[in-house]
Amino acid sequence: MTRNLIKTLTLSVIGVFSFCFAIAQPRLPEGYFWKKLPNGLEVVVIENSKVPLATIEIAVKNGAYTEGPEFSGLSHMFEHMFFKANKDYPDQASFLKRTQELGAIWNGTTDVERVNYFFTFDRDSLSAGLKFMNAAIRFPIYREEDMKKERPVVDGEFQRAESDPGFQLWYGIQQKLWGDLITRKNPIGIHEVINTATPEKMMVIKNKYYFPNNSLLTICGDVKHDAAFAMAEKIFGDWESSGFNPHEKYPIPAFKPLTKKEYFIKETTIAQTPSMQISWQGPSYLTDSASTVAADLFGTIVGLNSSKLQQALVDKGLASSVYVNYTTSKYVGPIDMGIEPNPTKLKECYDEVINQISLWAKDDYYTDEQLKDAKAILMRNSIHRKEKPSTLASQLSYQWCSTSLNFATDLDSNYQKVTRADIKKFVDTYIIGKPYAAGLIISPDLSKQLNAASFFVAK
Amino acid sequence: MMKKYMFALLIVAAIGNIKTVQAQKAAYETSVDGVKVIVQPSGNDIVEIQTIIKGGVQNYTAEKMGIESMAMNALTECGTVKHDKNAFKDILDKVSATVYGYSNKNYSVVRMNCIKSDLDVVWPLYVEAMTQPRFDAKEFARIKTDAITQLKSLDSRPDNAIDKFADKVAFVNRDYAKDPMGTVDILTKLTPEETKAYYSSIFTKSRLLIVVVADLDQATIEAKVKAMLDGVKKGPAFTFKKASFKVYKNSINVEQRDLATNYVEGITSGPIPGTEDFDAFNVAMRIFANRHFLDVRTNNGLSYAPQAWFSVGQTSTARFSVSTTQPDKYIAVFDKLVDKVKTEGFKPEEVANMKVTYLTGFYYKNETNSAQASSIASNEVLFDNWKRSLTLVDDVKKLTVEQVNNAFKTYINNIVWVYQGDPKKVNQILYINGTLNKGENGVSH
Repeated sequence: MTRNLIKTLTLSVIGVFSFCFAIAQPRLPEGYFWKKLPNGLEVVVIENSKVPLATIEIAVKNGAYTEGPEFSGLSHMFEHMFFKANKDYPDQASFLKRTQELGAIWNGTTDVERVNYFFTFDRDSLSAGLKFMNAAIRFPIYREEDMKKERPVVDGEFQRAESDPGFQLWYGIQQKLWGDLITRKNPIGIHEVINTATPEKMMVIKNKYYFPNNSLLTICGDVKHDAAFAMAEKIFGDWESSGFNPHEKYPIPAFKPLTKKEYFIKETTIAQTPSMQISWQGPSYLTDSASTVAADLFGTIVGLNSSKLQQALVDKGLASSVYVNYTTSKYVGPIDMGIEPNPTKLKECYDEVINQISLWAKDDYYTDEQLKDAKAILMRNSIHRKEKPSTLASQLSYQWCSTSLNFATDLDSNYQKVTRADIKKFVDTYIIGKPYAAGLIISPDLSKQLNAASFFVAK
Repeated sequence: MMKKYMFALLIVAAIGNIKTVQAQKAAYETSVDGVKVIVQPSGNDIVEIQTIIKGGVQNYTAEKMGIESMAMNALTECGTVKHDKNAFKDILDKVSATVYGYSNKNYSVVRMNCIKSDLDVVWPLYVEAMTQPRFDAKEFARIKTDAITQLKSLDSRPDNAIDKFADKVAFVNRDYAKDPMGTVDILTKLTPEETKAYYSSIFTKSRLLIVVVADLDQATIEAKVKAMLDGVKKGPAFTFKKASFKVYKNSINVEQRDLATNYVEGITSGPIPGTEDFDAFNVAMRIFANRHFLDVRTNNGLSYAPQAWFSVGQTSTARFSVSTTQPDKYIAVFDKLVDKVKTEGFKPEEVANMKVTYLTGFYYKNETNSAQASSIASNEVLFDNWKRSLTLVDDVKKLTVEQVNNAFKTYINNIVWVYQGDPKKVNQILYINGTLNKGENGVSH
């Protein structure tokens, strides 16, 4: 009896653990495998044998959203320093040499809510690649001389962006849209902060965010998940957890809602043709995930050639192109409307843009058929997104940082469930009657000739 | 949906060749009514078809540049005999398919991409666009305005602007100076009638090549292509002209622009596609690109995006570019770097490592049907040998360090430099005379 009781209890305990484990397991597509190491590092293996390559990526929940003014741009600086020196490769020359030995194609990006690092190489180099990644992510060396050389490089990246009118327009919008918290939405940062970055500041970032329990390791390609998990655990298993959740310990301040329409005209000789942007503060995944899905549907509907928006602007020759895009974000994603106006019909184009926005609340702004077509487009887009194996890791980690793995897995089917009411709720909550930031970048001559300031103003 | 601005450290090897990816069956070629059709089974549910019209900038005079690009755009943006523009685009929207045409310096492409189950909807539109374009006057006026706006928009983007400026200066009086997108003046004068007549003159079987990357059986492909070609003129025999490029003295052209940084680009010679040095030079430039990155960015912090690449086409060239606030320091670093490679050569391990990277890039670049089709097309047009892509990895493996070094020494000499930004920041003499002070040899970079 005792034996039976023990057996029953044991089975119950196993059952409880299994149940908990089953709950903890996120929903994932076929061919995706997930495991959480004891140190909190989540590992996803995506088996895809289309080509004999492996891609490994580490994504960290870091980026502009973690930056107050004194750290603005330093998540990005940190990303650059990742590719510099570490305990195994003490200078960048040896780091780069190792990437060449591995035959690796590599990249790193810094965005608002994610920093990620990834390498693609021959599938047989998986273990060597993981060790290389491990040295870089866990044991960086921030040498003053390296930082001195890298500061102008990062600032040079900023200056390249500033040489592009598209960036200047975008940056002007960010200033208006986010006010005092603009640094939380601007990964490239502030010149002065970049140019005075120190190894100490790098250590601050490392000690806040660079922990296994704030990171996702993805291994994708011609690999087997059991073997890949074993390698990951062996190499990254002794990476110590921080013991705290960085985003609880260092919370992101709430973005203040815009209180009025904000307009600006940026005159510059580099804008040989004008561009316009209008942006709203959109939904947050944390508080209104349903609207993030509806937002994507709405953007797809108004992108249809048959949509009222395209017909009123592009078909009539008032604009070369127009789009509406929502950026899925954990903390208040922007809704951006971009317009390339016909320079000879700038005012007419602007007036029609404003008119179209005013119509978005109407039930007949789009047809049932257009809603159906938009859903079909999103379904097919999903097939196209999966075509290139080396991009799968980054697609997943974007969602891991800004939404969740379950959300990512369910997204395609959730697109198909969006109703007119969902879209109306999104439009009513975030766009209709809501303040926005509007910007126009234009050459001084054209601005004067068309008297842009007379009509491109808040009314 | 993804972010618009993401700041990235990026090094991606640009590989201009293809290799059959793992899960695919072998590619083959067939001929339909005298037109070569190359088929790569894809192993997936996506259909990519590209119809190539060979010739590019050799097809038109400098006075008419832009006409081929406008014609390609008009095929889908001005509607067809059976469908006006909106009807045409609305059908494609319903199945999220792509059909459009574009031009580059070597050829034009009319491309379609769809999910396999939508082929019966998309294929007829693809055929209509090429064989029954409407060249509707109202729509033509619209796309002309858009093309002019696009031209100005691209010229506002520094990376694009410096490339175009370099072409204009380096290839003066040659075919490659022609910008396929044309100029505002030329586009303004183009009429739909003239553009339609031009299109009719180049859309001939003699210039066509068709590339299919899809899981479709051969009989189906041949039947569809045969029906498409029915009524298409045979056209006069066509020869794709290749031209070498050599620079006899260093030069620099400076253009003032109000940019936050300054852009520098240099052009010099490179081997013609199909010549003996081609593969060795390709490898040499990739290794040089690594050294250029290390010296310019890592060791001297002079630029975020130093680039060096082999630009392959009818006229192939080596190119170097940076954005920098210190252009004069850049040229000094560049000169030393080139001199070092020419004096000491590349190291054996650099060549060995690049062969491995080449292999990774082969597969990486060709993960999509679209990329595979583009690679097949360029190999066939430029080398007259799409199968080269199947042997290229082995060909590269056989290269010796000596071959790679010799190729670099042979082609990297005098350079045509161009500059956009603040003229006061650049000392032109340094670009013309070089910075090494090696007496008579000093002018050679």
